[in-house]
Amino acid sequence: MINKLILRINLFVFFLFFFITIDAAEGGACKDYGECDKFKYTLNDTESLQRGASTFINYCYGCHSLKYSRWGRVAKDLKIPEEIFFENLVFDDSIKSGDLMVGAMPSESAEWFGVMPPDLTLVSRYKGDDWIYSYLRAYYEDSSKQYGVNNLVYPGTAMPNVLLSLQGNQKLVCKNVPLIASNGGEQRDDFGNTVFEEKCGFLEVEEGTGTLSKEEFDKLIYDLTNFLVYVGEPIKATRERIGWYVIFYFLIFTALSILLYREFHKDYNT
Amino acid sequence: MQDKDKTRRKVLIGLTSAVGLSGIPFAATPFIAAWNPSAKAKAAGAPVKLDVSKMQYGQQIQVSWRKQPVFIVRHTDNSLKSLDLSVSKLADPNSDQIEEPYRGLNLSRSKSPEYSVFSGVCTHLGCAPKYFPEIEPKPWDASWKGGFFCPCHGSMFDIVGRVFKGVPAPTNLLVPPHMFDGSILTIGEDREL
Amino acid sequence: MSEIAGKLYTWVNARLPIANTFERHLSKHPVPSKVNFWYLFGALAAVTLIIQVVTGIWLIMPYSNTEEQAFSSIEYIMRDVDYGWVIRYMHTTGASLFFAVVYLHMFRGLLYGSYQKPKELVWIFGCTIYLAMMAEGFLGYVLPYGQMSYWGAQVIISLFGAIPYIGESLELWVRGDYYISGITVSRFFALHVVALPLVLIALVFLHLVALHEVGAGNPEGVDIEKYLDDDGVPLDSVPFFPYKVLNALIAIGVFMTVFSIIMFFFPEGGGYFIEMANFQEANPLVTPDHIAPVWYYAPFYTMLRAIPDPLGGLIVMAAAVAIFFVVPWLDRSKVASIRYKGIYSKIAITLFGVSFLTLGYLGTVGVTEVRKTMSIICTVIYFAYFLLMPLYTKFEKTYQVPERL
Repeated sequence: MINKLILRINLFVFFLFFFITIDAAEGGACKDYGECDKFKYTLNDTESLQRGASTFINYCYGCHSLKYSRWGRVAKDLKIPEEIFFENLVFDDSIKSGDLMVGAMPSESAEWFGVMPPDLTLVSRYKGDDWIYSYLRAYYEDSSKQYGVNNLVYPGTAMPNVLLSLQGNQKLVCKNVPLIASNGGEQRDDFGNTVFEEKCGFLEVEEGTGTLSKEEFDKLIYDLTNFLVYVGEPIKATRERIGWYVIFYFLIFTALSILLYREFHKDYNT
Repeated sequence: MQDKDKTRRKVLIGLTSAVGLSGIPFAATPFIAAWNPSAKAKAAGAPVKLDVSKMQYGQQIQVSWRKQPVFIVRHTDNSLKSLDLSVSKLADPNSDQIEEPYRGLNLSRSKSPEYSVFSGVCTHLGCAPKYFPEIEPKPWDASWKGGFFCPCHGSMFDIVGRVFKGVPAPTNLLVPPHMFDGSILTIGEDREL
Repeated sequence: MSEIAGKLYTWVNARLPIANTFERHLSKHPVPSKVNFWYLFGALAAVTLIIQVVTGIWLIMPYSNTEEQAFSSIEYIMRDVDYGWVIRYMHTTGASLFFAVVYLHMFRGLLYGSYQKPKELVWIFGCTIYLAMMAEGFLGYVLPYGQMSYWGAQVIISLFGAIPYIGESLELWVRGDYYISGITVSRFFALHVVALPLVLIALVFLHLVALHEVGAGNPEGVDIEKYLDDDGVPLDSVPFFPYKVLNALIAIGVFMTVFSIIMFFFPEGGGYFIEMANFQEANPLVTPDHIAPVWYYAPFYTMLRAIPDPLGGLIVMAAAVAIFFVVPWLDRSKVASIRYKGIYSKIAITLFGVSFLTLGYLGTVGVTEVRKTMSIICTVIYFAYFLLMPLYTKFEKTYQVPERL
C-alpha cells in the first residue's frame, strides 16, 4: 500500500522535474532556415549513390577532398566497374585504385575563399544529413556578399553557390500567407474570408534561370547528400545488415538461457 | 527427478551450449580479420610499373614491390644460350619444386624472352643476393659463369635466379606475377591486355 | 590420455590451489537463493570489462598516438582495417554501457544497503573502481583527437587551474605543452591503455575477493549465514554453479541484445555516446557551438556548472564523488534493504534518483535561467540525500526483517 503510494510519488516528482527542465526549445540547427528539412538516406539505392558521386566529383571535388576515402573503395561499394569509374570520374591518370581522394585543390586556395575548403569525408557525421540537404538548397541572391549569394542555413557562408546554373537564381521573397488563429486554424474575418498577412524569408527560384526544375534539383541534392552519408561511414549499410543477424542470435541465446534457467530453478523451488 | 525431466534438461544444455559455442567463430572473425593487410597496406603494395627499355644488356636493376626487392635482368641472346652449359650445377633447373607462374614459357623464367623478373629475397633466410655478371673465377666458384651470390650464407643462383646444388638455399628465387605491355613492365599484376 | 591429464592435474594442484579456489569461488560458492534483477549488473560489469580490454588491445594496434595521426588513424580503423569498425564501435558502445551498468550496480548498493557492515570494504573498492573508470573514460575520449576530445579535455584540464597557487603550473605540467598537443595525447594514451587498466583490474580483483569473504547480499537484507545446514552451507543459498551462472546467462543475453542494437543501429547513441563534433579533427582555434560532456559525466558536469566559482565547482564536483566513500558510515539504519526501511529513506532515495537523472539531463543541454535554478536545487538534493542520511535513517521507524529468505 505505502509502496504503491511511494511509486506514484516517484513518478510524479520525476515528471515534474523533467518538464520544468524542458523549457524553450533551442534554436534550430539550420539557423535562419528554421528546422532543417528531414533527410532519409537510402544506402541500398546504388544508382542514387552513383549519381551523387558523379555530382560530387564534377562540382565539389575541385575544392573539397574526401581524404579518408579511397577511389577503388568507392567504385567497389557503388558497384561501378573500376575501368568505367576511372575513365569517367577520375581525371588524373597517375591516380591508382588504392589512393586516397586527397583533392585537386592547390593549398593556396585558402586565399581565394578566406578559408581552406574543408575536407568533406565526415561532413555528414559532424553536420548531419538534414543539415547538408537543407544547406545546399538554401542559397539566395545577396549582392552584399562576395559571391553575390548568401545562405539561410549557414549565413555568411564562404562557399559560392556552385550549383547556381542548375538551380537557377534563388531569391528571398515575401508572400501573403493565411494568418494562423490562436486555435491553430486559419484566421477568418467577420465575413468568413481568410485573413492574410505578409511574411518574408521565402525561397523562390526565378523562373527559367536554372537548367533543372525544382524537383530535379532537389533530387540532385538528395543523391549528393546520400553519397555524403555513404562516404561518412562506408560500412553503414553493411553494419545495419549484420546487426539484424547478431540481434537475432542473442534473442535465441536469451530464450534458451531462460528455458535452461527455469529448468534448473525446479531444483530448489519445489 | 523423472527421466522425462532429465532428457529435457540434457537437450536444453546441449542446445544452449551449441548456440553459445557457434557464436564464438563469429565473435572471433573481426579480431582475426583485423590482422589482414589493411586497405592502406594493400594500396602501398599495389603493382609497380616501370619502363625497362632503357636497361642495358646484362644490366640488373632492383625495384621495390611491397617493400621487397625484385630483381630485373636484361639478357643478351648469348648469355641465355650459355645457360644450358651450367644446367648440371643446378638443383632444380625446371623449377619443379616451387610454384612457378610462367614455367616453360621462356628461358628467362618470365613472360618476356629478354628480361628476367624474380624476387631478390634468398630462399634460405631472406638476405638479398648480389649480382656478379662477370664470367671469371670467383672465390666461391672457380668456374663462375655469372649469376647471383648471397653474401650471408653463400647461396648461388644463375642469372635467371635458379639455385645451385649444394648451397643452403633450398629453392630457386621466386617469380612474382607480372606482365609486359610493350616495354612497360608491371610487377604484381598479371591480366589479359 | 585421461590418466596423463589426471596426473598433471594432481601435480599442478599440489603446487597451485586450483581445485580449492575453483570450488570456493566458483562452483560451490554459496549465493543467496532469492535475488532480483538488480543483482545481475555486477556480472554484466565484468562482461563489459572483458569486452573493453579485448577490443582495447585490438584498437591499440592500428591507433596512432601522435597529433598528426591520431584523428586520421581512427578513420583508418573505421575504413581501412578489416572489421575495424566492429571493434571500434564495440569499444565506444562498451564504454557507455559500462557506465550504465555500473550506475545501476551502484544504485542497487544504495537501495539494498550493500555497503553495510561487514561489506564496507567491498563498497569502498567499488567506489574506487568507479573513480578509476571516470578517469579511464575521460582519457579514452581524448584519444581520437576530435573537437570534443580537445575541448572536453580543455575544460577538464582547466579545472586543475582552479586550484590555488599551483593551478596554472599544474595545468601546464599535465599537458606538457601550451595546448593539448601530441604529447598530451601520448601521455593520456599510456595512462589509458596501461596504467589505469592495471589499476582497474587489480581493484576488481580486490572487490571480488572482499565480496567472497563476506558473501553476497540479497534484496531482503536477510543474513543468510544465520541458518546453516550440517555442512555449514547457508540454508537459503544455492551454489554459484549452475544456478547463479544460468541467471547471469539470461542477463548477458538481454544485455548483449541491447548492446547489439546500439552498436549496429545507433553507434553514436544519438550524439550521447559519440558526439557529432568529435567527427571533426581537433582545432585549437575554433570552439564548437555547444560543449557537452559524454552522458556519463553529465550529472557532475551540471554541478560544476551550477557553481559560479571554478574552484567551488571543482570542490563540489569532487565532493559529489567522494561522498560515496563514506556512505557505510552515514547509514545508521538497523536494516539494510529499502524494503524494511522507513518512509523517510524511501522518499530520500526517490528524490536522490530523480535529481541525479535530472542533473544528467541538464548536463547535456545548454544553460537557461530555469535550468540553472534546477541544477542548484538538484545539487542540493543530491548532497542532502547523503548528509541527512545519519538523521533520517536513525530516527525513522523501520520494519521487521524476516528471519529467512
